[in-house]
Amino acid sequence: MKVEGEHTFKAPREVVYEMFNDPDALGKAVPGMQKMIKIDESHYEAVLGIRVGPVSANFSGNLTLTDEVPPESVTLIIEGKGGAGFVKGVGYVKFEDLGNETTLLKYTGEANIGGTLASVGQRMIDSVAKSMFKTVFEKLDKILEERWQKS
Amino acid sequence: MTGKYFGKPVKRLEDKFLLTGNAKFIDDIQLPGMLHAAFLRSDYAHAKIIKIDYSEALKRPGVVAVYTAEDFGDFWKPGPLQVPPPTAIPGSKFNARTLVPIAKDKIRFSGEPLAVVIAESRYIAEDAFDDIIVDVEPLPAVVDLEKAWEDTSVLVHDDLGTNLAALVTQESGSYEEAKKQADVVVSKRMLIEHVAAAAMENRGFVVNWDERNQELTVWAGTQSPLTIRGSISRALGLAESQVHVITPYIGGGFGPKVMSSQADDVLLPWISKQLKRPIKWIEDRRENFLATTSERDQVHHCEIALKKDGTILGFKDVFYHNTGAYDSYGMTVPLNTQTHTVSNYRVPNFYTQIRMVFTNQMVVTPVRGAGRSEGIHAMERMIDFAAHELGMDPVELRLKNLLKPEEFPLKTGIIGQDFVEGVLDSGDYLGNMKMCLDMVEYDKFRKEIQPKARKEGKRLGIGVVAFTEGTAVGPYEGVKLTVSTNGKVTLATGYSSQGQGHFTVFAQIVADALNVKVEDVKVITGDTLHFAWGAGTFASRGATLVGTATHLASQKVRAKIFATASKALGVPEDQVDLCEGSVCVIGKPESSIPLGTLASMANPMRGVVEPGVEPGLEATAYYGPPHGATGSGACAVILDIDPDTCKPTIERFVLVHDCGTVINPLLLEGQLQGGVSMGIGNAFYEKMVYDENGQMVTASFMDYLMPLASDMPKKIEMGHLHTPSPLNPLGIKGVGEAGALPPPPAFAQAFEDAFYDKKLELLESNLSPSVIFSYLKKAEGE
Amino acid sequence: MSKLFPVTVTVNGKVYERQVEPRLLLSDFLRHDLGLLGTHVGCEHGICGACTILFDGEAVRSCLIFAVQANGHEINTVESLGTPENLHPLQQSFTDKHALQCGFCTPGFLMTLVPFLEENPKPTEDEIREAIDGNICRCTGYEKIVEAVQDAAEKMTQKK
Repeated sequence: MKVEGEHTFKAPREVVYEMFNDPDALGKAVPGMQKMIKIDESHYEAVLGIRVGPVSANFSGNLTLTDEVPPESVTLIIEGKGGAGFVKGVGYVKFEDLGNETTLLKYTGEANIGGTLASVGQRMIDSVAKSMFKTVFEKLDKILEERWQKS
Repeated sequence: MTGKYFGKPVKRLEDKFLLTGNAKFIDDIQLPGMLHAAFLRSDYAHAKIIKIDYSEALKRPGVVAVYTAEDFGDFWKPGPLQVPPPTAIPGSKFNARTLVPIAKDKIRFSGEPLAVVIAESRYIAEDAFDDIIVDVEPLPAVVDLEKAWEDTSVLVHDDLGTNLAALVTQESGSYEEAKKQADVVVSKRMLIEHVAAAAMENRGFVVNWDERNQELTVWAGTQSPLTIRGSISRALGLAESQVHVITPYIGGGFGPKVMSSQADDVLLPWISKQLKRPIKWIEDRRENFLATTSERDQVHHCEIALKKDGTILGFKDVFYHNTGAYDSYGMTVPLNTQTHTVSNYRVPNFYTQIRMVFTNQMVVTPVRGAGRSEGIHAMERMIDFAAHELGMDPVELRLKNLLKPEEFPLKTGIIGQDFVEGVLDSGDYLGNMKMCLDMVEYDKFRKEIQPKARKEGKRLGIGVVAFTEGTAVGPYEGVKLTVSTNGKVTLATGYSSQGQGHFTVFAQIVADALNVKVEDVKVITGDTLHFAWGAGTFASRGATLVGTATHLASQKVRAKIFATASKALGVPEDQVDLCEGSVCVIGKPESSIPLGTLASMANPMRGVVEPGVEPGLEATAYYGPPHGATGSGACAVILDIDPDTCKPTIERFVLVHDCGTVINPLLLEGQLQGGVSMGIGNAFYEKMVYDENGQMVTASFMDYLMPLASDMPKKIEMGHLHTPSPLNPLGIKGVGEAGALPPPPAFAQAFEDAFYDKKLELLESNLSPSVIFSYLKKAEGE
Repeated sequence: MSKLFPVTVTVNGKVYERQVEPRLLLSDFLRHDLGLLGTHVGCEHGICGACTILFDGEAVRSCLIFAVQANGHEINTVESLGTPENLHPLQQSFTDKHALQCGFCTPGFLMTLVPFLEENPKPTEDEIREAIDGNICRCTGYEKIVEAVQDAAEKMTQKK
């Protein structure tokens, strides 16, 4: 499965980049996230509850940040396993300074899915992923509003 | 053979039980103290197993035991080759890698069993999956057939050094010579896509080890109870007489239930013996898709060489065949492809090569059609492409090359799945085609209906194809016929039933031979205690082999009846007749003895029995043919295709079929209609898809679509020819798979005809609207 | 094991009281707890229709309902239609027309058709095919099922 998209944040690049390094913020923004723990600067452990059509299960996994060029870009490597299968993915995220304290986030990525998730949920994965990203960005917008714009 | 029942549309004896919920299927078997098994299955298609830790699972209340490959010790071993290798074919290469019962060290397909959980209920057993930690090292998956043939960088079986499962080349005549004489040569690469049997009932297995009697009883949703019995006896070191296999009513077979899956039928008996408890396992639908066998999935590189008047000089077919991760079922499927490619036509030079490849998918074994579909598809499509090239009507090209009745019996020079050279025994292929063209009103369609439709901007197309069905192959089947002392008759056979009407069809033969009511004949199938010899229900062999054995046994019992009656009535044998459940003296109806009484008399409790006389009115008979009998037919379909959505409406569907002598025309129609629904499914709806990681992405009915009532044509118009087979006394040929064979190539031809101006060349078998749409887009782009 | 809930349900006219886990499917409850084995499970995801039963007179998939949801309701299964000695007219038509082969999907078809024929005593062929579009049959190709329904409709209206 391939993913691609972009989103404009109303905040300077540094602030947006920092938010992406905050497990608290990400933990709140990703729907179904039950636990997100920072192991060190580039490693996180998480437990995520996912629902794709008739398949719903918890996935526990790791998130690794590599090729970090703050505040320009970062590569995310995700590996998750659960009763309903596994997910392995990589995402390339770029942050562009649009001036006027706005940042354009661009992302592309690829995920391999296996197990029950793939065998009965394949058809819906794309739309579920799109919907998930939409929710994540909406939530992050709110978090930015609370944290930065109000300060 | 004529009689009160033979050849008549006798209603089925088994229906009243099935209709009222009184027929026992595998999940209906309940035994006291029964435990439930569930298989933890691999998510990964290809991986090295590092560790499976089930210690937490054992702590869960209700879990009785968990087993992985290591726990079975020496008992774990790769299963047997269910079908022998093709050593009968000179020059053939075959690498046997047989299905293992449970993954050990390496996972080779997504869905392969990793652990068996035994618990008080299926619900608890599946709960325990979450407790089991599986640690693997994923590997890239082998999925592309043509790539796998040459690429050795990723191997399904590391010790082989290659993914080549088999290489079998057969030739009659010389294709290269034929090509030299040809005016036109057409080459194409075609895909025939992966489908499932998807019977409405999934597989199941119930086993009970009786420690006191040292006996194992098994109920299995299998098409081959005797093979299962053999497999279990061998694996557990038991005598066959210690293993009793019973097939309950089965909700559809269609092929995959012939295969020994090893996981349930080998491991569960061992576990039952260990735990001394009955064990039940019922497969769920997702497991059925992932880990029960399926079929098709071939890539054909075909070439046809013709003279410009349309005479076919030669045909060459090099095809890749996917056997999945193991090849326990040998070469049955691709050999059927080889024997069914040119079987309708006069093709004096035919070269065919199987390149069988291992992939990281579940094993491929027959699904209704069993390899024949692919051969027929390849040939029928190549004839269409040749017709386009020659500017000839596709029907004309067929009529020119179809074999004529006087050319039979015809030795094909190609060895088939039964390891003997194929002989086309009889048939009237031109007769089939002519009847089909008459029924569909071909001339009228071409001259009036289609031109009118085209003027109106409609996309109306016709497809007409021919097909053969090799049926009734050996090795043999048998029956035991017994007249009981209550006057009723029992026919026992090892040949099990999955809905074909065996309980009625064979009873008809007996009822006529012994002049009893068909309701008084009880057919017992698939119970090894009642009859312990046979091969299994596959390859459309029931009517022919069991029918003939029934006929032979009936004749033997008749002889015994006459001999016994002659003594009892005090008249010579030629004065004795069978009169509706009794024996009587011809001309003296008052002088009669009911058959039940005669049966008692045939089993004296005292006195002297002459040597050579067997007690009772009972006989056993076997029948094994010298080679298969070939059924044949023709099919025409008219499609009206919506030019915007590419969705077809089936305007007309004509099927002409010849299966020799017909035992029950009502049941014959049922078989053909059911086969057609699967064929239509294959043509439009059904496609098993694996992604590049070997993940099956169509493992439910949400994605794997099958025809519904509104999708089927309102009427499948049927025509029948009857050229009896010279191979057996009743002239029977098989028919179970016939309906499934013609639809895919017929629909492809109809689509191309409907979009004649776009000059489409449809090179794959599954023609869903999105596939047609993409071909149209490509055609417009040029 | 999770807490058990009491369930009182009337099945084929008889009242049953049981204690069940909330996650127990109605199909499993009917088959294994009550021993009514005529209802069959084909897919467990609500598509094949083999598990169709009547829930307060309406045809529903028992694999998509929990037993606890049936508490206080009336269920009818295929066993309520007829016996081998005394077939319901629809069952008789099915055997007369050879509308079943393996018979696994058949109870689901029957339970879909019984309320359908009550509401549509003189259905057209299109209406029949649409009514059974929620039941998959792998053996028959549906043609003889449609004939059986037409036959039953005719016979059942004649009787009235």
